[in-house]
Amino acid sequence: MKDRLACLAVVLALGTTAIAQSVSLQFDGIAFKVLGWTATAPPGGGWSSIFRVYAGTGDVPPLVGTYAIERGSLVFRPRYPISAGVRYRAVFDAPGVRPAIEKSFDGPARPTAASTHVDRVYPSTDVLPANQLRLYIYFSAPMSRGEAERRIHLLDAGGKLLPAVFLPGQELWDPNNRRLTMTFDPGRIKRDLTSNRSMGPPIAEGKRYTLVIDRDWPDATGLPMTGTFRKAFRGGPAVRQPPDPKSWRVAAPPASSRAALVVSFGRPMNYVLLQRMLKVSGPHGEVAGAVGVEREESEWRFTPQAPWAVGQYTLIVDTSLEDLAGNKIGQPFDIDVFDKVTDRITSTTTSRAFEIGPTAKP
Amino acid sequence: MQHRKMMTHVTLVVAVALAAAFTVHAARTPPVGTGDLAGGNSGLKSAGALAFGPDGVLFVGDSVGGAIAALDTADRTPAASAKVDVKGIDEKVAAMVGVAAGDILINDVAVNPISKNVYVSAARGRGPDAAPLVVRVDASGKLTLLPLDNIKHETVSLSDVPDANAAARQNPRTQTITDMAFVNGNVMVAGMSNEEWSSALRSIPYPFKTAAKGTQLQIWHASHGRYETQSPVRTFVLYTIDGQQYVLAAYTCTPLVKIPVSDLKAGAQVKGVTISDLGSGNQPLDMVPYKKDGHEFILIANSSFGVVKLHADNLGQYKPIDSPTVVDVAGAPYDKIAALNNVRHLAQVDAGNALILTAASGGGFGPAVGPMSLRTIALP
Repeated sequence: MKDRLACLAVVLALGTTAIAQSVSLQFDGIAFKVLGWTATAPPGGGWSSIFRVYAGTGDVPPLVGTYAIERGSLVFRPRYPISAGVRYRAVFDAPGVRPAIEKSFDGPARPTAASTHVDRVYPSTDVLPANQLRLYIYFSAPMSRGEAERRIHLLDAGGKLLPAVFLPGQELWDPNNRRLTMTFDPGRIKRDLTSNRSMGPPIAEGKRYTLVIDRDWPDATGLPMTGTFRKAFRGGPAVRQPPDPKSWRVAAPPASSRAALVVSFGRPMNYVLLQRMLKVSGPHGEVAGAVGVEREESEWRFTPQAPWAVGQYTLIVDTSLEDLAGNKIGQPFDIDVFDKVTDRITSTTTSRAFEIGPTAKP
Repeated sequence: MQHRKMMTHVTLVVAVALAAAFTVHAARTPPVGTGDLAGGNSGLKSAGALAFGPDGVLFVGDSVGGAIAALDTADRTPAASAKVDVKGIDEKVAAMVGVAAGDILINDVAVNPISKNVYVSAARGRGPDAAPLVVRVDASGKLTLLPLDNIKHETVSLSDVPDANAAARQNPRTQTITDMAFVNGNVMVAGMSNEEWSSALRSIPYPFKTAAKGTQLQIWHASHGRYETQSPVRTFVLYTIDGQQYVLAAYTCTPLVKIPVSDLKAGAQVKGVTISDLGSGNQPLDMVPYKKDGHEFILIANSSFGVVKLHADNLGQYKPIDSPTVVDVAGAPYDKIAALNNVRHLAQVDAGNALILTAASGGGFGPAVGPMSLRTIALP
């Protein structure tokens, strides 16, 4: 009996060895498979107790995903897509299969040709008021989050890095990660706050500055940009008076034409808000058309889809429209409540009438 | 021990506007009871600010999707307390979802007040296609991904976002949710727009109701009673002073202020009060109020000043300044906690403990340099 058991043990051992030699691990770009091993029922600890895929080194958990039996083979599908530049290590460690089988696979290679760049920055003017509130940075392709604070710098005229210029915190992106909103520290802008008293505003009138956006900022694919972006500007006087639509110049186009209605503000305004905070209403309701912003954001041009008809029109202005310093219609960024000159406007819109006649009248 | 006095006594005017220009639309189906939410895909496009509601419900702020999801964590087994110590949490989460550790951005942490398990919100990837992640960390250090594609949930859309260009494929305007809290049956939401300078502090009744109207509070901030500014709230916490509930809020432009919760209702106008100004180039990130040895404190993690412990015994004494003749008064004193460095998030665990998320370097808002760690500490 003993001899027969010994024989059986030898056969089993040989068989196991044979199995181990024929078992292999395969990765098809989506799923990881165990080939040459017939999967039946999951072991007590679940399939993950014998087959795991790791995407990291050291004491880290395995990839999360699901197991299935496909054509008799054990298959693992990660819950998330395979990533470029990541090395995956599959480990199959079933009882009787010795040694455990381990194989590494590389995700797709990362792209290597940089093509992303800073497309433009608003305000486009090279004179920013000392109380400039925000910058809007447009990129040519989606960027990576979590980098803005170390990649955007303000230098003085001597090239010295200026600290604590921008509001730290949440990066304010559009949903495509192609437009980033940067806010100058409002605590330094708002008069009489601790930061304002101790450091002054981020921009001083008469001084020269350079905004620098590093080439090394990775885009959404992980590649650096094609070059470092620089915008030189100088500080202008603070703008404290809120924009007043009554002072705007409205140049009405001739009837029957599709010429642009031109609204001149007399100062640069917030480019982003100009896209949606001015509307034109005519004899037949809201006029459909295309918005253009010109002359360093001091001019709004509206080209109608259909030719202008003779009649009374209204330029409807959202009172949340801001100038460069965050002054809204009828409401300065920091209201001096002792200064009774300023009336606080609480309505959400205001308007400016104009007429389109057979000969245009402004 | 560094002992400082706060700088300025400032008046806060909270002008509460009705929701006329702002409507909260419930995106999903019928109002459901707490703990009885509908299953399915949460629809989250991002996972940011976290706050726990009743009965293990976790509110997740979705800045990209412009929504808040209430997730049923089904995590309702009470625990008195739990110590957590997970080194390299970013590396571990990255390994679970198959990316490099640098491609995990951790956005917030919260502690389930019932189970004391820790929840971490993160992004898998840094680009616009980043996937939202919510990870549960238990006392043993085990990490479990919440199945966001199949979980009981309810969602409310913060859809006051007008299209800049209706023909455009995607509205470029977003409202980044910077903090949330569940206060007296409402989810309070602080946020910042990526377009206009607004000061939206919203209050949304929970459970979310179909076509429920939330209120939007327009927050004003005044210095010396003279200069008033709309001021977005960066972070806030509920606090009781002399039996009255307050919101302690840290603003993007400046100090820590108190606002009576009872005044945060539509149609009211209230004045809040500055209790502390930590000074230039700094912002509070997270706050934990607590009591120890018969005294009240607020532990504050800051962007630049590290972690400070604010002495809060006398917060009730601060009154609004509503006259130009009032001079500055000193704010509440605080001590810097030198032993706590590079703290990026702070959350309360229980009466005696807090949870911290630390980076290897670059505390505060700055770029995270991993590995990052999650650790329970005794409140100092």
